[in-house]
Amino acid sequence: MIEAGHFALVLALALALVQSTVPIVGSRINDARMMAVAAPVALVSFALIALAFLALTWAYVTSDFSVVNVWENSHSQKPMLFKITGTWGNHEGSMLLWVLILALFSALVAVFGRNLPDQLKATVLAVQGWIAAAFLLFILVTSNPFARLVPAPFEGQDLNPILQDVGLAVHPPLLYLGYVGFSVSFSFAVAALIEKRIDAAWARWVRPWTLAAWIFLTGGIAMGSYWAYYELGWGGFWFWDPVENASFMPWLSGTALLHSALVMEKRSALKIWTVLLAILTFSLSLLGTFLVRSGVLTSVHAFATDPTRGVFILGILTLLVGGALALFAWRAHALTAGGIFQPISREGSLVLNNLFLTTATATVLIGTLYPLLMEALTGDKISVGAPFFNLTFGSLMVPLLIAVPFGPLLAWKRGDLYAAAQRLAWALGGAILVALLIMLFVDRTMLFAALSIGLAAWLMLGAATDLVLRSGVGSQPWSVVRRRLWGLPRSAKGTALAHFGLGVTVVGIVATVAFQTERIVIMKPGDTIDFAGRQLRFERVEPFAGPNYTEDQARFTLISGNRDVGTLVAAKRLYTARQMPTTEAGILTRGFSQAYVALGDPSGDGSWVVRAWWKPMVTLIWLGPCLMMAGGLLSISDRRLRVGAPARRRSQPVPAAAE
Amino acid sequence: MLFWIVATLLTLMACLSVLVPFLRRPAAVGVMTSPDLAIYKDQLAEVERDLSRGLIGRGEAEQARSEIGRRILRASERAGGATVQRPLWGRAVTAAAVLSIPLVSWSVYAATGSPGEPAQPLQARLQESPGNLPVEDLIARAEAHLRTDPSDSRGWEVLAPIYLRVGRTDDAVRAYREAIDRLGSSGIRQSGLGEALIAQAGGTVTAEAREAFEQGLQAAPGDGKALFFLALAAAQEGDVAGAQAQWQALKADQPAGSPWSEAANQALARIAQPGRGPGAQDVQDAAALSSAERSTMIEGMVATLDAKLRDNPRDPEGWQKLVRSYAVLGRQDEAREALRRGMSALGETTRDAAALQDFARSINVLASVQP
Repeated sequence: MIEAGHFALVLALALALVQSTVPIVGSRINDARMMAVAAPVALVSFALIALAFLALTWAYVTSDFSVVNVWENSHSQKPMLFKITGTWGNHEGSMLLWVLILALFSALVAVFGRNLPDQLKATVLAVQGWIAAAFLLFILVTSNPFARLVPAPFEGQDLNPILQDVGLAVHPPLLYLGYVGFSVSFSFAVAALIEKRIDAAWARWVRPWTLAAWIFLTGGIAMGSYWAYYELGWGGFWFWDPVENASFMPWLSGTALLHSALVMEKRSALKIWTVLLAILTFSLSLLGTFLVRSGVLTSVHAFATDPTRGVFILGILTLLVGGALALFAWRAHALTAGGIFQPISREGSLVLNNLFLTTATATVLIGTLYPLLMEALTGDKISVGAPFFNLTFGSLMVPLLIAVPFGPLLAWKRGDLYAAAQRLAWALGGAILVALLIMLFVDRTMLFAALSIGLAAWLMLGAATDLVLRSGVGSQPWSVVRRRLWGLPRSAKGTALAHFGLGVTVVGIVATVAFQTERIVIMKPGDTIDFAGRQLRFERVEPFAGPNYTEDQARFTLISGNRDVGTLVAAKRLYTARQMPTTEAGILTRGFSQAYVALGDPSGDGSWVVRAWWKPMVTLIWLGPCLMMAGGLLSISDRRLRVGAPARRRSQPVPAAAE
Repeated sequence: MLFWIVATLLTLMACLSVLVPFLRRPAAVGVMTSPDLAIYKDQLAEVERDLSRGLIGRGEAEQARSEIGRRILRASERAGGATVQRPLWGRAVTAAAVLSIPLVSWSVYAATGSPGEPAQPLQARLQESPGNLPVEDLIARAEAHLRTDPSDSRGWEVLAPIYLRVGRTDDAVRAYREAIDRLGSSGIRQSGLGEALIAQAGGTVTAEAREAFEQGLQAAPGDGKALFFLALAAAQEGDVAGAQAQWQALKADQPAGSPWSEAANQALARIAQPGRGPGAQDVQDAAALSSAERSTMIEGMVATLDAKLRDNPRDPEGWQKLVRSYAVLGRQDEAREALRRGMSALGETTRDAAALQDFARSINVLASVQP
């Protein structure tokens, strides 16, 4: 079974080589049968890689320690869920998951791409074939998950305990679906450059793929953030850590891509933006893969311990990104200007959006790479931490967030900013009211936080305004409004929902950062502390043995208004196989807020260091991305094709000309 | 065998995926409607829908229609079907593409794969017959079994002496204790525990070990192992006369050919021979000396013996004496080292070496497990 999986993987490499050559040659010489090879080969490749992945999973499930990868990362006593998820909880297995998802997307293009022109489809699949061939070669040469160990040991070295969590089942697959999903946009961009076919129809074809990848990446990042929040026990939800940034950069540029593909589909404009963003987004995904997989991130020196992997991925990165950009430079003159538009228009607002998002991406990129470069060049370890990102990224986001509600209200081609502002008046009023209420009733000293929450309210109300106006609230009877609201294009509802979700996330972030309460105290069982208008009682500590760990569980009771409202269980856990301690936070959700307790070290006399937080509205941070995903799903389900209806030049009141 | 069948089938499937499109009749392709046109027509319909719903004005719709119309014109200029393939060129590409699949896959797999290696799921390995598995694997199997079913008391009893044999003394003590807890006290278990405790203490008969032997004797009076080690305990405490008496008694009680009467014989010989070891007189003299002087004297004797054996290594009895001396001094590592040196000096496979090893085992000096 294992060798069959190994062979299937090798066979997939052979097929990827065929897929990356025959169809594109066929497309150049206009040979229908050579182009037709692409689809079945993509499907069979996917089947083969899936077989290889299943074989590896099977080895994990049955604890087959004759596979080096299983021996290094598994343990016979591990619960079944973590045996399965352990398949991708390591370098080799995660790369296999990466190519599996790549092959999945190729197969989906092969199946759902029936409405594509033959040439375009063949070329897109060939470009997918290049990526697949490069990564399959990488896996087989430098990180083969099927290497054998004979004689096989009877026990494995166990999976890193931090990864032994449900999060591992959800976060990497979602994130990879996002990362790798953008490969389709990339392949479409490269194919369009090769085929010289960059028009509104192309944008229409590439849009669902971009949207799907964006939905998955949004979910993957949010899931990763929540996982870090509850597993690492620091109470933080975002650390501006290079690995997080590596996933955040493609999200930012992917968001820009999503919006500019919209313009291209409707108005045939912003072609250069769209093609460049498609190349850039996948390049950033590859960069993320490189940073995380080469070991550059933990330390520049880890690079030297396994130089082949880092150099190999760097080679792939250079070849794919460099090649795509060279092709772009070569073909840029062929990009004819599309529909023209005024600066104040839907298109103009989306250009503004692109500018802000790409600048933000560049900021994060600099903040992530600069310390690495410095360390490589001078050996100095510098840290670019949260202050840098909060200042630069934060100040870029504020004007963008202010501008968001205007976008959907402006007409295509030429818009009227004044009219849009008038229509947003009540949203502005609502936002100011929210800020005032926060100032008056929550904390009078927190002007900045109150303004930020006001900004979030502005986003949410602004998103609602669009739907309200379109359905004709106020001017039409209720029955008409209901019918029109129901009949609105799903893409419009999706946009509103996603923008609303953005506002929800901002509320969560600001409320948590500005209004959270933190207590660090030494407590004995029986002690009670006050925090955030509530009491926390330390009940007792009791030992507990899990399947492959032992822990001391500390039980706390949260008391609000003299009433017990719930129990929190925080723990110090020891994974026996690796003798590695972890901290398990105790979390209690009340409404949108959470109490969060992490256990520190015990002192000899039975007392413990306890860190307790009250985090108001914290769950909104992750609820927001869920709404954004829902908005994306709603939008992707909109089968109807959209076209921008340009507004007629308004008969301007021409000032009486002096004739 | 199964692997080869699967590999062949997979290769066949991969080759077919390339071959099948080439086998299709070319007539099926060639006539095409441009997919772009479909999209633009759909866009036109969308404009009509928006207009009828009042989302856009008449003028805006008109402009959108003309813009889409221009796109339609451009798209229809480009439209044109794919050609039928040229026979020669096509055949060459087909052949090359199809052939490359087995060539690439089989040659890469030859470099990276291990085709003969079957899958080895842990559960199946734990159930297969022991055969000639190395002792470490047998232990791992037994441990895995005991982890899933810790109430299998017999398992602990079987595992304990094996731990002792490979030098995992802590595990041996634990296993004997488990066996005693679960199955109750018995002569064999108690004297085994005593032996494990001596090994754990590096050759010294500790009070705990003595207690174990004494309890063992209550359950099984006349147990050779317990009696032997109790005598050794007396010898280690300096009661040579008592030790001699106990060993003599042991010899008399044990049936002929018992390993313990043989061991007692050797112990008596060593302890009694003047000049070849500290005899009764020597030990009495030694007892009269201060303890510091005594240890210096013993160290000196051992060092002399060690040096003598370096010059003249073919002396089986000398090696036994050296190993025992180090063991009695509690210098377990040096005892093992002496055993190793003796074994190699006498030749690994000779009878003398085997005797040395047996002797060493009888006083619980264990050859370190080879890594």
